[in-house]
Amino acid sequence: MFLEIKDLSVKIENKNILKRLNLNINKGEVHAIMGPNGSGKSTLANVLAGKEDYEILNGRINFKDNDLFDLNIEERAQEGMFLAFQYPVEIPGVNITPFLHSAINSKRKRMNEEEIDNLSFAKLLKSKANDLGINIDMLKRSVNTGFSGGEKKRYEILQMSILNPDLAILDETDSGLDIDALKIVTDGVNKLKTNDNSFLIITHYQKLLNYIKPDYVHVMVNGSIVKSGGSEIAAEIEKDGFQKFQ
Amino acid sequence: MNIQDNYLKNKKNIFFSENKDIQSHREKLINIFENDRFDKKNNESLKNINLKNFIDFKYKYLIPEEKSVINNNEKNSYSIVSINGQCSSYKDDKIEITKILDEDYNDFSKNDIIENNDHFVNLNSLFLNSGFKIVIKKNNNIKIKISNIITDDDLTIFQKNNYICEEGSSLNLIEEYENRNNSTSNILNVIKLEKNSKLNHFLIQDNSPNHNLIITTHSSCKNDSTYTQKVYNFSEGYVRNFHYSELIEANSEADLQGIFFLKDNNTSNNKTFVKHLAEDCKSNQVYKGILNDRSKATYFSNTHVDQVAQRTEGYQLSKGVLLSDNASYFSKPELKIYADDVKCSHGSTIGPIDENAIFYLRSRGMSKIAATKILISSFINEELSSIDNEQMSEIINKKLVRYLSKVK
Repeated sequence: MFLEIKDLSVKIENKNILKRLNLNINKGEVHAIMGPNGSGKSTLANVLAGKEDYEILNGRINFKDNDLFDLNIEERAQEGMFLAFQYPVEIPGVNITPFLHSAINSKRKRMNEEEIDNLSFAKLLKSKANDLGINIDMLKRSVNTGFSGGEKKRYEILQMSILNPDLAILDETDSGLDIDALKIVTDGVNKLKTNDNSFLIITHYQKLLNYIKPDYVHVMVNGSIVKSGGSEIAAEIEKDGFQKFQ
Repeated sequence: MNIQDNYLKNKKNIFFSENKDIQSHREKLINIFENDRFDKKNNESLKNINLKNFIDFKYKYLIPEEKSVINNNEKNSYSIVSINGQCSSYKDDKIEITKILDEDYNDFSKNDIIENNDHFVNLNSLFLNSGFKIVIKKNNNIKIKISNIITDDDLTIFQKNNYICEEGSSLNLIEEYENRNNSTSNILNVIKLEKNSKLNHFLIQDNSPNHNLIITTHSSCKNDSTYTQKVYNFSEGYVRNFHYSELIEANSEADLQGIFFLKDNNTSNNKTFVKHLAEDCKSNQVYKGILNDRSKATYFSNTHVDQVAQRTEGYQLSKGVLLSDNASYFSKPELKIYADDVKCSHGSTIGPIDENAIFYLRSRGMSKIAATKILISSFINEELSSIDNEQMSEIINKKLVRYLSKVK
């Protein structure tokens, strides 16, 4: 199993968010989690990425034969996990290019791969930015600083395509995107998809899933997955909402 | 020993002690200390320090055996090594360096704002034992680098330097304070900018833990002149940076910036005070601090806009990053506006490093320590990238790397 979440219960500030949640993802699969506001979707994404604000009450998570709880935030990233943030953080003064260069090299170092030099990295970055319709001038700016909502999401996908993760978690990447930006972002994701990597896509709406075809759709309500199936569930939610699952 | 006895005992080593006017001014200052006539509780200059240590001190001054060095290797560029606050005389067609004279003492002693509140300046006036005067002659564009060397342990340097930028002149001044001995330097820089002159003043402070450095600057700007000051404090010993600026004629500007990097038990007190006394003047006061371990800092920024100072622009900003729960930074911005057509603002933010930013960077594979360091660097990136002097930029970056290497 690529990612196995077993009986996961999590709380934050005395509030139980995830309740005995189970989810298995195999290599090469695309899973979508849909759910109403406050159902715990972003908490799941943050817990997977290692955010330290949460208390794990119960359960375990295995990722690529590692106990995920044995890995800190950066080790998870270096092992191939990537979280595309719902609200990417603005970091004034940290330039995009050296930051991404350092990120890719920290991953390569852990994998005992040779570090990528400045010139090769610049070429890689330029070509990936072109693919995503990102203006080269944007790469001279500080991380997410002064970006529009759409630019931030595009930049998340640029980072994803540079870091080429084994498991990418997209936390409401579609929110705040107009239809053209959504197409660019989802094209970027589809280009990256292979039989060796997996995606966990968190969204409220079916719209995103029209562009990225999931193998499985899960409905998450009140901290647990209450129904799993294929794309037909997304259509069902689009038609009737989440009411019937609550 | 009380101030009066200390003064009388060391009188022969103190500048201008035979001058009757100066003597009478000093008696007035002694009275301020002796009669305890100042409010210790609410006095900003006394936060986080024990004044007794600075009043009840052992006076020691040595006239340096070596002469200070003045080099004029490159065109319009001078390097000076000042020893125990002294500098040899020098003169060419662009600059003139002399000892300070009685009249240079008097020109500042009438400043009530400082005299009534700033006891370190009063101590400087009382025990003055060194200093020099530099005049940049009309329409010259000059660079000066001054290395301030203290030769022995336990010295008490009370130094006053006067800088005069004549009409149309421009001075790029770098002052380095990097002392490793156990001494105290109390330095007062008095700067006068004549019409259409410019001074870019950089101060690099990097003293060892037992060296106390107290620097006070007073600048006055005439028509169309600009005073810019950038202070970089990497010292491991106590540093006080107080800067008073008066915009006395129209279209003049004062830009006072500082960054301090504190660790261990170190303390730094900072103050900027800008007085707008004429129309169409601009001021900017920006101080940023990074505090680790149990270090403490204060920053008081004051903008005073006189009723005649219409169309004033005055900005204040204070920011601090606390790298430890035990570090503390107290900041107080203050605006006093008596004119009605002004643009003024102030802001102050102090807190730990943004945990969300740390999480974001770590989620891309960066270690916690690397993420912390990159965020500290980014906090002062704007100030560092604005240094247009390559040599300065290199020096500051090296010191920053050294500071960051101790951040865990």
